[in-house]
Amino acid sequence: MHTLQVWLVSAIGGESAIAEFMRTAWAWPIVESLHFIGLCMLVGAIGAFDLRLLGVARRVPIEAVHRLVPWGILGFVLNVTTGTMFVLTEPDQYIYNPAFHLKLAFILIAGVNANLFYLTSFRQAFGPTPRLDAPRRAKIIAAVSLCAWMTVIVSGRMITFFRPGPCFGEQTSLLLTCDP
Amino acid sequence: MLDPLLIWLESTALSQWVVASPSLLAFPGILALHAIGMAFAAGLSAMFDLRILGAARSVPLAEFERYLPVLWLGFWVNAVSGVLLLVGYPTKALTNPVFYLKLLLIGVAMTLVARTRRELAEVPADQPGFMPGPSSRLRRMAIVSLVCWTGAITAGRLLAYTYTRLTQYE
Repeated sequence: MHTLQVWLVSAIGGESAIAEFMRTAWAWPIVESLHFIGLCMLVGAIGAFDLRLLGVARRVPIEAVHRLVPWGILGFVLNVTTGTMFVLTEPDQYIYNPAFHLKLAFILIAGVNANLFYLTSFRQAFGPTPRLDAPRRAKIIAAVSLCAWMTVIVSGRMITFFRPGPCFGEQTSLLLTCDP
Repeated sequence: MLDPLLIWLESTALSQWVVASPSLLAFPGILALHAIGMAFAAGLSAMFDLRILGAARSVPLAEFERYLPVLWLGFWVNAVSGVLLLVGYPTKALTNPVFYLKLLLIGVAMTLVARTRRELAEVPADQPGFMPGPSSRLRRMAIVSLVCWTGAITAGRLLAYTYTRLTQYE
């Protein structure tokens, strides 16, 4: 893993056209603002759907609230794009950052969890007769989704407090969390 | 004129805790809460606006108000965490015009949430199944709301880059 991380940082390099752009005046703060706007769209849409599965706004058909999900996906795409721009500019600040590792892990959990919904509960929740109450399994998935996205936000916010410093001595952890 | 107040605020134990405590629950934790509150307040408000502007038409507009308590919870989480951040760095915020712009935009956005709800409640409920499309006035309010949230989020982010003084002593 260490070797992979070191290789990634040197391969990205931080000298691409995007990195050049990100170093121009105001580019970084503006892209950060877009990252926050994408976050709001993602949590607004996916959170509204999760809350519906958990029983909020029970009189609204589950299928109807699901129409908001594309806006959440749009927010997610915006955030993958803007997030990649940060990593391309300062790769070592992210690749060696434990908060960033945690953030990626929880994005993965949220993604697997969302797919689990479509694999196991989609038909039950949207069946021919509209249901007021989502099946139990869907409720668990919704709760996991809300928790996972909130953890993504928290660990994202923590990135700045876990910036990697220089390495001293042997590294024994699974991931490199300092700048060699 | 503001300086004595700022000097006093920065000398309080609460301010020192927010700024200097090594605990992750202090400054980092408050910032994280502020981001979560933002996600629910601005996010749900934006979904409400998008619904008014024509997204997810099958969601009855009047039923959307069931989400408003969560939206308000997000707002209050941010009012409290925002006050804590302000107590931590009063000089940084209060000497920066961008901070007042941010407050103004949030004020307008939340007023629009309350007004939109009131206007929707006035739609006669005695006609089951009758679902009038949102008035052009409601649509205009939704657009202003989206602009306000975009501005408030951007202004909030810019606070980290546009301040002239961090504390009284720097």
